[in-house]
Amino acid sequence: MNRWLDRLITLLLAALIGWGGWSTLHWLIHGADWSVVTTNLPLYAVGSFPADQRWRPLVWMVGLVLLTVLTLLGPKRIGWRGALPLLWIAMAPIGLWLLVGGLGLLPVGTRDWGGLTLTLLLTAGSGMLALPLGVLLALGRRSALPVLRWSSTAYIELMRAVPLIAVLFFGQLLIPLFLPPGLEINRVLRAVVAFALFAAAYIAEDVRGGLQAIPPTQREAAEVLGLSPLQSLQLVVLPQALRIALPSLTNQAVGLLQNTSLMALLGLVELLGISRSLLANPAFIGRYLEVYLWLAAVYWLCCTAMALLARHLEVQLDPVRSNR
Amino acid sequence: MRKRRVLVQLALAALLVGFAALLVNNLTVNLIRTGLGLGFGWLGRPAGFALAETALPYAPSDSYLWALTIGWLNSLKVIVAGLALATLLGVGAGAARSSGNRLLRSLAGGYVALIRQVPLLLQLLFWYFVAFLGFPETPVGGLIKLSNQGIAVLGLNLSVEFCAVLVGLTVFTGASIAEIVRGGINAVPRGQWEAFRSLGLGEGLGLRRIVLPQALPAILPALTSQYLNLAKNSTLAIAVGYADLYAVSDTTITQTGRAIEGFLLLLASFLLLNLLISGGMAAVNGAVLGRLRRSR
Repeated sequence: MNRWLDRLITLLLAALIGWGGWSTLHWLIHGADWSVVTTNLPLYAVGSFPADQRWRPLVWMVGLVLLTVLTLLGPKRIGWRGALPLLWIAMAPIGLWLLVGGLGLLPVGTRDWGGLTLTLLLTAGSGMLALPLGVLLALGRRSALPVLRWSSTAYIELMRAVPLIAVLFFGQLLIPLFLPPGLEINRVLRAVVAFALFAAAYIAEDVRGGLQAIPPTQREAAEVLGLSPLQSLQLVVLPQALRIALPSLTNQAVGLLQNTSLMALLGLVELLGISRSLLANPAFIGRYLEVYLWLAAVYWLCCTAMALLARHLEVQLDPVRSNR
Repeated sequence: MRKRRVLVQLALAALLVGFAALLVNNLTVNLIRTGLGLGFGWLGRPAGFALAETALPYAPSDSYLWALTIGWLNSLKVIVAGLALATLLGVGAGAARSSGNRLLRSLAGGYVALIRQVPLLLQLLFWYFVAFLGFPETPVGGLIKLSNQGIAVLGLNLSVEFCAVLVGLTVFTGASIAEIVRGGINAVPRGQWEAFRSLGLGEGLGLRRIVLPQALPAILPALTSQYLNLAKNSTLAIAVGYADLYAVSDTTITQTGRAIEGFLLLLASFLLLNLLISGGMAAVNGAVLGRLRRSR
């Protein structure tokens, strides 16, 4: 009887998948009009960056793609692999320089940033701010000093209680209120700061999980060896804790990339924002399905690439493997 | 050493207080400039805006406080329905991933791999603009009536916005719950499966009565954080125009300019919501652990 049930389920599912596949195929051939995607590719990639300067964000993104491919598929056991981490770290200042301009390049205002470039930049910028802040908060929450412990815990718990969209929205409204009059920071930077303040609370909890997994004997051993508390933290405890926290940090990073789409609700023209303005254009009215499928594919690719890179890093850092 | 610790803490406290004072000082200067001040008196004034969906009677002449309450109830409605449906979907998909049927297993795997790598906001927009608004008027068997005016299921009238948010949250959270359930099921020793099979129990019954109860202690804590995520994510309803707590707060703040008070109210509402969810889950967790202990 069980076998018959199994066959019935298979048959039903096959029928369902066949029907879904057939109607998708039918729509792709007869219904879909991809002009909303094909004619606007530059907009999706770089937003309204000046046309003669578009090569700058494009060079940066091509660099990122090349580096990803090299890291994941490049030949193993070759000396230059040691340079890869440095190259990855260098991509941030290079990207900023290419986008902002100066030092021989024409300056471009943040108003003209958009598309995938802005999405990647928001992710990278807020991630780089959030990681050190999160580590500090995690250390603070585990500190022996009550004042430090209470204030870190309060910050983490409050931030984790509110929805991200509220933090972003009030970040735009409130950050100017708390700054001295006359000092203004622009919208993109405000978004990055609010985003980082939010993400840091979640990163702190992941790092704390890693710190809790380190047995106290490690710290004691470091003390016996004559390491100062700071040295023991920096050389013994943190490297191990971060490695343990890496899988959950990866999830945070993928979440960070996905959540940059919320900036569209605040009027930033990152990937989703630019699509919203395209869909409001009478020439492309009603082309929701094409645009959303295209966006889903782009986001899916970026997130999957990030997850694969993080998995690669995990394997690289695995102590069993590197001791061999 | 002890003295040093106290000194460090005092310095830290002074630093924090100083920083807070600096912020508050800037705030007061800015508030004086805009001439707003702080206070909650405006909550009693008539809101003046209409709400598309109200659980209790509401008119634009009612107070801001009442409008916010209606928003809170709308949030609660979609969160409670979402929690129930996402749990069902997640447990189903999670169990399907360890099923003996290969097609079912890979279908569930594909669902999780696809949904978790696409932003929720994009999925919500898809459900609203493509799935629900793009749907032609098609009565399906007379039970479910889909139209762009709303959805009638067994005499229950639901708005398109509510359905889009509900389906979006359910599908998105369901994928995360499926992963948690799969992890929990995998943590149950294989011997338990062999044991119930050799006793002659069917797969479904064995899963429900033998495996899932033992997987629950591993599942529940992670499930709680997914529930909290769903509650927080429900605020994205503003993107499709569902009048939830956040959307009403947003309108209120835009009209009154009371950003700080509005933020404090929102914070309090979410603390209350989180407390309800984690309190409820703690009770469930306690009951499950207690039952497990008694049965051993």
